[in-house]
Amino acid sequence: MSKITKLLALALALTAAATTQAGAQDAKLKACFIYVGPTGDIGWSYAHDQGRKAAEKALPWLETQYVESVPEGQALPVIDRLAKNGCQVIFTTSFGYMDDTLAAAKKYPNIIFAHNAGFKRNANMATYMADFYQVYYLNGLAAGALSKSGKVGFVGTYPIPELKRHLSAFALGVKAANPKASVNVKWINSWFDPAKTREASEALLSEGADVLTSAEDSATGVQTAGAKNIPTFSHYNPMLKFSPSNVVSGHIVHWDKIYIDFLTKVHNGTYTTKNLANVDYWWLLSKGAVEMGADMNMPFTVKFAAQLKAAKMMVGGKSVSVYDRITALNAQMKKGESFDPFTGPVKDRNGVLRVPAGKTMSIGDLNNMSWVAPGVVGQVADEPKK
Amino acid sequence: MIRFVPIADPPRGRVIWVTLAALVFALVVAGLIFLAAGTNPFEAYSAMLQGTVSDWSGWSEVLRRGTPLLLIGIGLTLAFRAQFFNIGAEGQLLLGAIAAGGIALFTPLPPLVMLPAMFVGGALAGGLWALIAAFLKTRLRVNEILTTLMLNYVATYLLIYLINGPWKGKNVRGFIYSDDFPDFAQLPTLPGTQVGWPTLLLGVLLAVGLQWFLGRSTGGYELRVAGENPEAARYAGISVSSVLFKMAMVTGGAAGLAGVGEVAGIHHKLLEPSQISSGYGFTAVIVAWLARGNPLLCLITAPLMGIILAGGDVLKINLNLPFRITDVFSGVILMSLIASEIFVKNRVKWGK
Repeated sequence: MSKITKLLALALALTAAATTQAGAQDAKLKACFIYVGPTGDIGWSYAHDQGRKAAEKALPWLETQYVESVPEGQALPVIDRLAKNGCQVIFTTSFGYMDDTLAAAKKYPNIIFAHNAGFKRNANMATYMADFYQVYYLNGLAAGALSKSGKVGFVGTYPIPELKRHLSAFALGVKAANPKASVNVKWINSWFDPAKTREASEALLSEGADVLTSAEDSATGVQTAGAKNIPTFSHYNPMLKFSPSNVVSGHIVHWDKIYIDFLTKVHNGTYTTKNLANVDYWWLLSKGAVEMGADMNMPFTVKFAAQLKAAKMMVGGKSVSVYDRITALNAQMKKGESFDPFTGPVKDRNGVLRVPAGKTMSIGDLNNMSWVAPGVVGQVADEPKK
Repeated sequence: MIRFVPIADPPRGRVIWVTLAALVFALVVAGLIFLAAGTNPFEAYSAMLQGTVSDWSGWSEVLRRGTPLLLIGIGLTLAFRAQFFNIGAEGQLLLGAIAAGGIALFTPLPPLVMLPAMFVGGALAGGLWALIAAFLKTRLRVNEILTTLMLNYVATYLLIYLINGPWKGKNVRGFIYSDDFPDFAQLPTLPGTQVGWPTLLLGVLLAVGLQWFLGRSTGGYELRVAGENPEAARYAGISVSSVLFKMAMVTGGAAGLAGVGEVAGIHHKLLEPSQISSGYGFTAVIVAWLARGNPLLCLITAPLMGIILAGGDVLKINLNLPFRITDVFSGVILMSLIASEIFVKNRVKWGK
């Protein structure tokens, strides 16, 4: 009896030793991702998942796991499970996970967290964002030039700083190309809701909008515009295939640029659980984290490129084609040169000066932006009076 | 040919084995769905069990899901006994959350009485919400299935209005939620979990208390008679409407308590309705149905549904099954249970 027990114990010990050794040999860095929508949303979460896959491909020492459709009020229990599964780096990819991520960062001091689109950080919690405001300005120029009715529709998700900055940059672009035009906005108070997006899109169209862009995570805005045969824009991801003859250009993200950079720095020891309190990725056109285009490497579709070449706008007293203006500014911002959509003087839509002449907005200002630019029509929550 | 021969008074043993058979049937069907999704069903079920009942952190998730299900489920068993088909627990839960939020954020109550006041307020609000449907049923003969269901939407939009308007938090930057509750308006939880133990305790006490009420008290007797045979109840001098009103306060009140537990124990603020209720009001219908009208049995059936919900998360996280899998899973179970009713009340005969 005791012999058998000893034998068993020995066998167990041996297997345990063998497995720990095997574990030590292929020790990979495990990064885990929490998505707010389904990976099949074709927009935000899909783009994050593409970034995850690209990072896994590029970094042989990386192992990943993801969880989709995690409600914003319930991130903490999911993080608990991921921590148990041995995740060493956890990316939480929605603004609404902010407080849960911070709580988790304090609960798990040995795990590195990176929160997307928020502003709270910790020794082991960084923030990151690939922001579109420059691209929205460029697309605004195109939208303004293409609108005949002078009304451009914008489906907004939540009236938070991120959306206000995108909406305002877009409106500034629309106004620059077409001073008489306005941007009509409707809010759906959801990140992912195809039914509400369709309703809001159709309401905007029936108000006379003849160009449409949607900030919701699915391709519904593009599809609705396609059904009504009006110009529209890809959002977060190439959506050309959903309305091939209606997509003008769009805003496309490359999360992999950030993921690969961040994870590489974790792997080589640059980032630890002690030094992330000031790590904030704010990556724009110059870092290649975002791109203006209907599809990857396709700034404009052929049909609309021709129309934009024919459209003229005034720049510094001279008449130039909208196409040339967009192309020039895109090239400038990619190189990181001085042009910025929010270069002062910029007033808000109530006439209050928000950016003084010659100044631009700091990252902090952009992340706290509560006002909206002139040309925006429609109710906007939390707008400052003065 | 298959014929169904009605059984006048189905014996308890039959109820049990038919219910168990229905559960097994549902597990087999769900297993086929896992198979279709490319996952070995045995692997899926063992992952579910390992992630839920094999250790304390798993159990804490089961309890987090099971606590609101228990409270709502208990209330629903009472309603179903009275033949009052309350499918408005979602809305009653939200009203409980609203009342708790209003008290936590805007009343100057001292810390010691804050949480009790939130529970009392939440129960009253949930109860009154159900009372609307009971009143419409007894006075105007409006079907309560419709009114309770529709009142869910009213509650949803009431909450959205509040957190998007007068109750909107000061530093929420365009998002729609309220400020955080003060510390003393947040429920103590079991260490390292999101399980508010006072809510859980309330659930257990209510289950025992209401079981006693139904089986041993005059009020319970009146409720059962009023439910099973309103004519006889009237003949016996029982005021059916007054019985229904009391029942509505209890069924709605229990759901209201669950709402208080969710906002005071987990979220610590008011936020979007769907994130507070998480569908518990509907899932609890299965809890009550499985318990066959016995509040005490909810102590088993609520954790059972808790295992399914928490297990669904495990499937999503560890096996990357699509996020709808939990809905499909609980849907299959409910359908199978409801369909099994015919085998409880009838004997199957083959041939002529």
